[in-house]
Amino acid sequence: MTADRIEREITIAAPVERVWAVLTEPDLLSQWFSQHKPPEIDLRPGGLMRLNQAEGYDYLTRLVRVEPPTHLAYRWASAYPGEEATEANSTLVEFTLTPVDGGTRLRVAESGFAALTIPPERVPVAGYDSHVKGWAQKLEELREVAE
Amino acid sequence: VTSAQVEEVLAALADPTRRRLLDALARHGEATATTLAETLPVTRQAIVKHLAVLTRAGLVAGAREGREMRYRLRPEPLTATAAWMSRVAAQWDARLDAIKRLAENG
Repeated sequence: MTADRIEREITIAAPVERVWAVLTEPDLLSQWFSQHKPPEIDLRPGGLMRLNQAEGYDYLTRLVRVEPPTHLAYRWASAYPGEEATEANSTLVEFTLTPVDGGTRLRVAESGFAALTIPPERVPVAGYDSHVKGWAQKLEELREVAE
Repeated sequence: VTSAQVEEVLAALADPTRRRLLDALARHGEATATTLAETLPVTRQAIVKHLAVLTRAGLVAGAREGREMRYRLRPEPLTATAAWMSRVAAQWDARLDAIKRLAENG
């Protein structure tokens, strides 16, 4: 278990090139990740991707790995709109695209929460379960989320 | 729940020895640093330092008993942190679903 890492995956009935396009082309990105307006994207390692998720909320995301059509990674300062993503203020988002029968397996990992400083308004307080149900259960829940 | 608390919990959990300490405490219920040193391949001195980090994060609490401290788990901060990570993960599930729809309908 890595405690500060979230991994998720999904199988998509489309070729890897198509999924890569959804992850990197401004017109497609604007339909799932930069809804306010299409992002400016300098698609190369070290390049900047400017996501606009709402008026006044620009996320200056730094591309780390660009290997079409299988690997894409960037640092995303989701807690700091308007600030360029650095190692100190962001998490690392990594996409891995694998061809499988009938399409593509897309895996996403977001890591680096432990080193991140989170502003108070970004930390949810709702749903806090004050009832203690036992450590083992909670650890298992966290493991499921983190693995 | 404060942001500092979530940060400290995640930082505390990022270390494999500290996760093993938490597992050991979950098995034993309560334990002293000496007992924990017998079950893990780490010196008692190192265990005391790790327990201090876990205490600051609110994940364990120590109570003096004779000459030693007895440590027990405190699951509440973990619950809050797990809830926060679940929310982040749920956001990714929603985004992956959106990517799937876009890719398959292109």
